[in-house]
Amino acid sequence: MKFTKINRNYYGYFFIAPFIIAFLVFGLYPLYNTLSLSLTDYTLMTRKGEYIGLQNFTVLFADQLFLKAIGNTWLIWLLNFIPQIGVALLLSAWFTNNRLKIKGVGIWRAIFYLPNLLIPVVIAALFNSFFSFYGPINQFMVRFGYQAEAVHYLQNVEITRAVVIFIQWWMWFGQTIIIVMAGMTSIPVHLYEAAMVDGASAAQMFRRITLPLLKPILIFIFVTSLVGGMQMFDIPYLLTDGRGAPSNSIMTNNILMYMKFASSRGHIGAASAVAVLTFIMTTICALGIFFVLRDKDDTVTNKPKRSWFKKSETK
Amino acid sequence: MLNNYKFNTTLLRFFIYIVLIFLLILIVVPIWILIVNASRSTVEIQQGLSLIPSTNLINNYNVLENRGLNMVRGFTNSFYLAAASTLVTVYFSMLTAYGIVVYNFKGRQTFSNFILVLVMIPTQLTIIGFFQYMSRLGLTDNYAALILPLIANAGGVFFSKQYFESMLIQDLIDAARIDGASELKIFHTIMLPLAVPGAVTLGIFAFVGSWNNFFTPFILITSVEKYTLPMLVRSLRGDVYRTEYGAIYLGLAMTVIPVIIMYAIFSRYIVSGIAMGAVKE
Repeated sequence: MKFTKINRNYYGYFFIAPFIIAFLVFGLYPLYNTLSLSLTDYTLMTRKGEYIGLQNFTVLFADQLFLKAIGNTWLIWLLNFIPQIGVALLLSAWFTNNRLKIKGVGIWRAIFYLPNLLIPVVIAALFNSFFSFYGPINQFMVRFGYQAEAVHYLQNVEITRAVVIFIQWWMWFGQTIIIVMAGMTSIPVHLYEAAMVDGASAAQMFRRITLPLLKPILIFIFVTSLVGGMQMFDIPYLLTDGRGAPSNSIMTNNILMYMKFASSRGHIGAASAVAVLTFIMTTICALGIFFVLRDKDDTVTNKPKRSWFKKSETK
Repeated sequence: MLNNYKFNTTLLRFFIYIVLIFLLILIVVPIWILIVNASRSTVEIQQGLSLIPSTNLINNYNVLENRGLNMVRGFTNSFYLAAASTLVTVYFSMLTAYGIVVYNFKGRQTFSNFILVLVMIPTQLTIIGFFQYMSRLGLTDNYAALILPLIANAGGVFFSKQYFESMLIQDLIDAARIDGASELKIFHTIMLPLAVPGAVTLGIFAFVGSWNNFFTPFILITSVEKYTLPMLVRSLRGDVYRTEYGAIYLGLAMTVIPVIIMYAIFSRYIVSGIAMGAVKE
């Protein structure tokens, strides 16, 4: 029996071969290609490019628009992520609390998750209609006397940015609740029972038991959200004119990359440089956070339950 | 003391339900206004807000079609692309994950960690290099360029791996081996059928992911006949429909309603699937 098992282990290579081939052809090579294009002045019009070294990058770093795009992307992501995780932690704590016995947890969760399934482009177009001059928001505000007359909301820098942040939050907090809740329910109950016997308050238990044991999951949410946020495109692109208006307030890295790509000559050398810088920035932050913050003995892939037990036993 | 404690709990519970209802309104009202406005005329929409559907649905649809937006074709394209993407994602993710879970080959742990790293890397950003490469191969404006990369879908493998690890499968495999089944046959005839619940969950995510995807088709697909729904939505924002609010809302609603119906049927799979992607039971 053991003999056949050992003998067949090399079959694993056949099973993972399609993945590896597809990754090399459609994943790694395009990455390499983007990198090498970023060192050229390649345009779609000429269909060829000369090697120009790091010139694309020096141009970008001198470009206020690029720096603004990076700042915007971080700002929009952070301001939607903080309330997102806050609401998720609060609601998950309420939903999993045995004393409160909130009814219909499954239904609440399911409804809160719904926006995540809708086409982001549609949501952006929808909110564009809502905030337009003749849109429902203006109608509501004027009818109930909050405003004397209709306003061009999406020509205001702060409001436009706030709308993007709100949409991002609106689309993602439901998913975060589901993940955080799954993490909370897998924390062994006896830890809370022991703490209660010792006279710990609810707040103390949340801080000393729930948060530390949720850490691997919180890091996972943080990293995946960051990676998604740094590639934000659909919503800011379709909410206004697709060029970050008003005053580049919702210009993101990806919109800038697309603008260079779709410019009249198709500067894909310069567009690649934007992609490369965003890629490096995101990857360093994401992997850095993941490998620095996580405990040595538990990753998201390891069994959280088992490592928690191990810890509580040895301590 | 005990009464006070009970009273506080009741008060807190009351407060929580208020918060939940507020969030419910935030979610439902925009979607409801979208659906209602799809049935109202442009004049009605401009006159004021309403939460009751009107009777202008067919008229709006005619406006939508007459101005050259082929929603039916967009639907067909999106559906075809999403179905193919789903099949490729599910089959190859399961295949790869099965290889990692069942066989103890050299480099297995490294490969497994590598998948996790891939999940955390912004792969969408290589689109420019991908586009230029596809145009050299003559594959731009071709759905194959959107489907084939899904053979290496790190998120799908990550999810499938969690799923296979939660099934106790080694005994079944050993039994099938004694019966003389080949390794690939064991995967196809025994493991895949057993993994159907996981495959359905992964399939739903793959389908929705493709259905909602705008950026990649937007870069790669150029001919109007191949436009997917999100790309048509972009056309809705153009000059042709500038004042036809009813038609715009209808076009948006038509993309959203199938997803809502699907969600109503499969919500249990979806909600449990999200948790499985991050937490291991």
